[in-house]
Amino acid sequence: MKKLLEISLGIVTSVGGFLEVGSMATAAQAGAAFRFQLIWAVLLGTICIIFLVEMAGRFAAVSHHTIADGIRERFGFTAFLWPLLATLLVNFMVMAAEIGGVAIALELATGIGFQWWALPVAFLAWLFLWKGTFGFIEKGVSILGLVTLCFVVGAVMLKPDWGQVAAGAVPTLPEHDAANYWFMAVSILGASVSPYLFMFYSSGAIEDQWDKSYLGTNRAIAGLGMSFGGTISIGVLIVAALVLAAHGIEQVDDYHQLPLMLIQIFGFWGFVLFVASLGIACFGAALEIGLQQAYLVAQGFGWTWGEDLKPRDDPGFSTVYTVSLFLAAIPIALGLDPLKLTIFSMALTAASLPLTVVPFLFLLNDERYVGEHRNGMIANAAVIFIIALGFVLAIVTIPLQIFAGT
Amino acid sequence: MDLLRDILDKQVVDREQVKIGKVDGLVAEVRPGKPPKIVAVELGSITLARRLGERSGRWMARLAARLGGKRHAEPHRIAWTKVRDIGVDIEFDIDVRETAIFDWQDWLRDHVIRRIPGAG
Repeated sequence: MKKLLEISLGIVTSVGGFLEVGSMATAAQAGAAFRFQLIWAVLLGTICIIFLVEMAGRFAAVSHHTIADGIRERFGFTAFLWPLLATLLVNFMVMAAEIGGVAIALELATGIGFQWWALPVAFLAWLFLWKGTFGFIEKGVSILGLVTLCFVVGAVMLKPDWGQVAAGAVPTLPEHDAANYWFMAVSILGASVSPYLFMFYSSGAIEDQWDKSYLGTNRAIAGLGMSFGGTISIGVLIVAALVLAAHGIEQVDDYHQLPLMLIQIFGFWGFVLFVASLGIACFGAALEIGLQQAYLVAQGFGWTWGEDLKPRDDPGFSTVYTVSLFLAAIPIALGLDPLKLTIFSMALTAASLPLTVVPFLFLLNDERYVGEHRNGMIANAAVIFIIALGFVLAIVTIPLQIFAGT
Repeated sequence: MDLLRDILDKQVVDREQVKIGKVDGLVAEVRPGKPPKIVAVELGSITLARRLGERSGRWMARLAARLGGKRHAEPHRIAWTKVRDIGVDIEFDIDVRETAIFDWQDWLRDHVIRRIPGAG
C-alpha cells in the first residue's frame, strides 16, 4: 500500500516536472502549424526521457550517487566542467522561460504587463525554496499541476478523428515550411528530453533516500509518469490543431493567442483553466530548475546540500538557488519575449544533450556503481540512439534556428 | 587500488559525515626505486584551477590569498593517515570546523544568509 502511494505520488510529481512552458508552447505551435503531423516527435521524446529517467533513478538507488556526482567522479573534474557549464547555461535560459510563463499567466489574469511580474515571481519561487522542504515542493506543486489534465479532457471533448491522430504517430515529411517543421520537431524533443529532468530526478532519489528496494518503484514512476506527461502534451497539441487552426491561427507567435484553445471548449472557465495550467506548470518547473542549479553546483564541488536542511546549514547551496532565480528573472523583467525565449531555449536544450547523455553509457555499465543492475541491451541501445539523436540535433539546431527563424 | 580512478574526485566527508568537498587533488611522494606513495589529498579552488592549467592555478592562488588572507594562499591538505573509510564517500578523521575549508561558507552564512529572515 505504501509503495502504491509512493508510485502514484511519483507519477504525479513527474507530470509536474514534465509539463512546463516548453512542452506546452512547442506542442501548441506544432498543432497549429502542422495539425497532428508532429505527434511522433512528442512520442519519441517521451520514450527517450522514460529511458533516461529510469536510468538516473536506478543509478542513484544502487550507487547512492547522483548523476552529477557520478560524472565528476568517473570522468574527473576537467571533463565534468563541460556538462556543468552547458547545463548551467541551458538551465538558466529554461528557468527564465518558466518565470516568463508564470509572468504571462499573471498578465493574462490581471492585465498588468508580464515584465512587471518577473521579479515578484522569482521572489515567490525563492521563498518556497528558502522555507520549504523537498517533500513539500514535490507534493504541493505536483498535485496542483494536475490542473493541466484539462487539456486531455478538452482534446477528448473535441472528438478528433482518432485515425488521423494515430497517423501523426508515424513520422512523415511536411508538405510546406520544411525548415519550420524540423525546427519544431527539434524544439519538441528539447522540451521533452530536458537534462534538468533526469538530473533532478536522481537528486530527488537521494533526497528521498532510495535504495535497491526502490528499483521497481523507479521503473513504474519513470514509465507511467513520463507517459502521463507525454499524454498531456499530446492533448495540448490536439487542442491546438483543432481550435487554433480552425480560427486561422497557424503561426503561434504570441502567448495571448493560446487561451483561445480552452475558451473554445470550456467558455470563461477555459480561460481560467488555461491561466492556472500555465501558471502552475511553469512555477513548478521554475522551482525544480532552481533546485537543480543548486544541486548541480553543490554536488559538483562536494558541498553540503539538501532542500530539507535549513539555509544556514547549507549556505553555498542556498546561495546558488537564490542567485540563479534572480538572475533568470532579469531577461523577463527587461521585457524579453517569453515565447521566443522558450522556443530558443528548447532547441538549445536539445543541442546540449550529448554532453549529459554520453556519460550514461559509461556510468550505467560500470559495475563499480551499478553492480548487477547495469544496463541491458535494450537500455544501451536506447542510450546510443539518444546520443546519436543528440548529435544530429546539435548539428542541425543552429542552421534551423537561422532558416526557420523564431 | 587505482588511486586516480578510485580516489580522485570522490566526495569527502569529515568524521561527523559533513560533506566538505571532493578530492580535488592528490599529493604523492616520489621514492627512488619504489612506487610513489600517497601522502595527502588536496581540496579547494586552487587545486581545481591547477588542473585546468598552470596559469589559472597561479591566478586562483593570488585571488584566494587576496580574498582569504595567508591561510588561503595554499590548497587545503588532509593527511592520508587520517583516512577512516572508503565507500560511497571517503571519510577522514577530522572535524571540518577545525580547518579553513569552510571559511567561505561560514562567511557567507554570517554575512548574508543569516541576515535574511527564515534562514533557520
